[in-house]
Amino acid sequence: MTLLQSEQLTMRFGGLVAVNAVDLALEPGMIASLIGPNGAGKTTFFNMLTGIYVPTSGRLTFQGQDITGLLPHRLTELGIVRTFQNIRLFSNMTVLENVLVGRHCRLKTNLVGTLLRPPAVRQEEAEARQAALSMLEYVGLGTDRANEFAKNLPYGDQRRLEIARALASNPRLLLLDEPTAGMNPNETADLTRFIYRIRDELDLTVLLIEHDMKVVMGISDRVSVMEYGAKIAEGTPDEVRANPQVIAAYLGKEDAPTVGTEATGAEAIGSPAEATGTAAGEQTASLNHRPNPQHISSDRGSDE
Amino acid sequence: MQNVLKALRANLILGGVAAFTVLLFGGWSGSMIGWLLGTAVGYLDTHEQSIPHPKVGLRIGAINGFALGLWVAAASLVEGLILRPLSGQAIVPLPQDLLHAVVGLAVTTVAAALMGAMQGLPRRRSKLAHQTTHGSLSRRQGTLLILAAILLFFPFADRMAQTGWIATVIQVLIFAMLALGLNIPVGYAGLLDLGYAAFFAIGAYTTGMLSSPHLGIEWNFWLVIWIAAAVAAVAGLILGSPTLPLRGDYLAIVTLGFGEIVPIVFRNLTEIRIVEPISSLFATLLNRPELAICLVGCEQPFNLTNGETGINPIGRPWLPFIGSFSSTNYLPWYYLVLLLVIFSMFMINRLRNSRLGRAWTAIREDELAASSMGINRVNVKLLAFAMGATFSGFAGAFYASYITAIFPSVFDFSVSVIILCMVILGGLGNMIGVLLGCVIIMSADRLYLPQFAQVLKGFLNTTVLPNIANPALRDFLAISVDPIQMRLFLFGLVLVVMMIVRPEGLVPNSRRRAELHSEDVVANESLADVRSVG
Repeated sequence: MTLLQSEQLTMRFGGLVAVNAVDLALEPGMIASLIGPNGAGKTTFFNMLTGIYVPTSGRLTFQGQDITGLLPHRLTELGIVRTFQNIRLFSNMTVLENVLVGRHCRLKTNLVGTLLRPPAVRQEEAEARQAALSMLEYVGLGTDRANEFAKNLPYGDQRRLEIARALASNPRLLLLDEPTAGMNPNETADLTRFIYRIRDELDLTVLLIEHDMKVVMGISDRVSVMEYGAKIAEGTPDEVRANPQVIAAYLGKEDAPTVGTEATGAEAIGSPAEATGTAAGEQTASLNHRPNPQHISSDRGSDE
Repeated sequence: MQNVLKALRANLILGGVAAFTVLLFGGWSGSMIGWLLGTAVGYLDTHEQSIPHPKVGLRIGAINGFALGLWVAAASLVEGLILRPLSGQAIVPLPQDLLHAVVGLAVTTVAAALMGAMQGLPRRRSKLAHQTTHGSLSRRQGTLLILAAILLFFPFADRMAQTGWIATVIQVLIFAMLALGLNIPVGYAGLLDLGYAAFFAIGAYTTGMLSSPHLGIEWNFWLVIWIAAAVAAVAGLILGSPTLPLRGDYLAIVTLGFGEIVPIVFRNLTEIRIVEPISSLFATLLNRPELAICLVGCEQPFNLTNGETGINPIGRPWLPFIGSFSSTNYLPWYYLVLLLVIFSMFMINRLRNSRLGRAWTAIREDELAASSMGINRVNVKLLAFAMGATFSGFAGAFYASYITAIFPSVFDFSVSVIILCMVILGGLGNMIGVLLGCVIIMSADRLYLPQFAQVLKGFLNTTVLPNIANPALRDFLAISVDPIQMRLFLFGLVLVVMMIVRPEGLVPNSRRRAELHSEDVVANESLADVRSVG
């Protein structure tokens, strides 16, 4: 059964169509990626999935339930949770508190319970604390920094903490918005392995927006490509890589290549040496093989 | 001796406060302030160190207390021998004055030593506690024990010392409740509320209406106080709902509007006549006024709040053995308001360390992320307003009953601002800080300033004015040197200095301190970046 389905999902801001009639279906347990040039509408699409924007038209279903236009916290309760492109931790709360906030929607204490604090509430709080600590352990942050302010963590750990915070709500679907942004290759490889691990161990479905093509092509079961708000291609990494529309989107059209898109596109696809400054036809060829197959397969191998 | 000198320097600020107090109030006030500040010194100078044994803490406390006591004693002598004659107050005989000084010194030293000793207790009760003589209490328990003793015996000490501070202390505690309540939306949830006095007014007017002969309803105070809190909470929800989509400055403006509306409404609810609207419409259309069906205030317009004159008298609490609380005996009032403050602190502490408290902080930190993490921001924000309002409802009920009369002018904008200042001065989001801010502002305003004005006036009349030949200058001085008139100026000055010197408040919340500190760093960094680019 499809976990999440978007049908003709559209978002308009005045005259601008940020996301135009996008269909997307996620099967349970898959890792899917959403790619596209900057401004293609990927993050807007995410914002609709998580209830931050209400779609102008179209329909969203999650586990067969219509979730179009639900508020963010309701979606989190249902099991859709996200991270943000530019990390949005609660920076002046401790690491542990951040994770506990993530757990908020799974706790039941109400106002009366808070004020009277009966044993059941104490127990729930103690269990939540324990669960948060083990979540920190699980994502590899360890518990010795649990009482530090989130903002004092190094960048990579902040990304991890954001994922830990998201995972604390026991989600079914995890949306990662550029999880490897600003990471070095080692950290990126670690994170890739980590995404596999949580998918397998926590029974998650993962949808990520990513610019690092090495990560996208290596990790994804399916890749969807957006450009100018519309979905222009979808398929396995190999299919997408061979798709002429995708190549055009990333590298510019054969007849009118512009310098700017050419450079960014080539870098993004992951083989700059071959791509830059060569003819469009050769670029197609370079896209058809994996940029660094050993690296990726070793990543997977070490985890399986 | 060297230790004492060092201690003298270390406790300069508290020493100055103590000396100033003694200079103003004279008499046994040295023993009172020495008792209070001595305890503070005993705590402040020891609690950050790890003191291995109570005896060590006792010694450190005693040294510092003695240093503080020297300030008290010196001020006592100066007050009795110099200031009193100069300001035209009754002369105190020298032995009496010496007695004030010596007792002040002794009380201060003992108070500080006791508190210091408590800081030498083990942090936690160890398993071997029963084997050691000093192990039956933990440090925290010992400290709380001393604080409890101070709060419990304060009225008696005040009576013995004839300082007459208790009326002010009751006022301080009322405002403490308000400040603690305001700290919930402002300090915890980051929702700036400039109209907080409105809830205070609602609590007070609810009490006024339900327990005064004015409307013929005279319910028991113990019931009314809960109703007042509930009504204030509902008002909090009502205020909260239109502000939900607003942030920061915009929110502040809406709350400001609410704070202005409420007292005006209470001022003007004097001639209520409600006519059923549909029949009234027909009556107008057909031009036959007798058709309109009158609902309320038919024979005579209904007077709900009695306008500017206010509601008076308001019923007082009654307890077995004590009877009805009277205006001459402060004791029951003091203990009642103390109980209410402690109750509020207890409840607010529970709120803060809970799922809800975390949600408040998360909303304050990043509303979007918080709601993406499953926090229902509507509920959480409304609860912050409602909870804040609840405690001011308690305060309002107590206030109405204590003063036994309420007027709309008591609840104007300046009250909201003063409460907000207490919260910010003390340290947003920190209960101890908020209490401290409240004590400082209220006692400065209600206790020190009037007394200072009086002493200054006496001084002018006895010493300065008779020696000035020029009558114009004499009149000018007599009229213009009045600290009471400069009250708001002094207040503003303190705020400006405070915000420059210590923007995070006296006892900051660790979060808030981190925030302000890191902002400095970031600001410097970005400036450096700009410079290096330029």
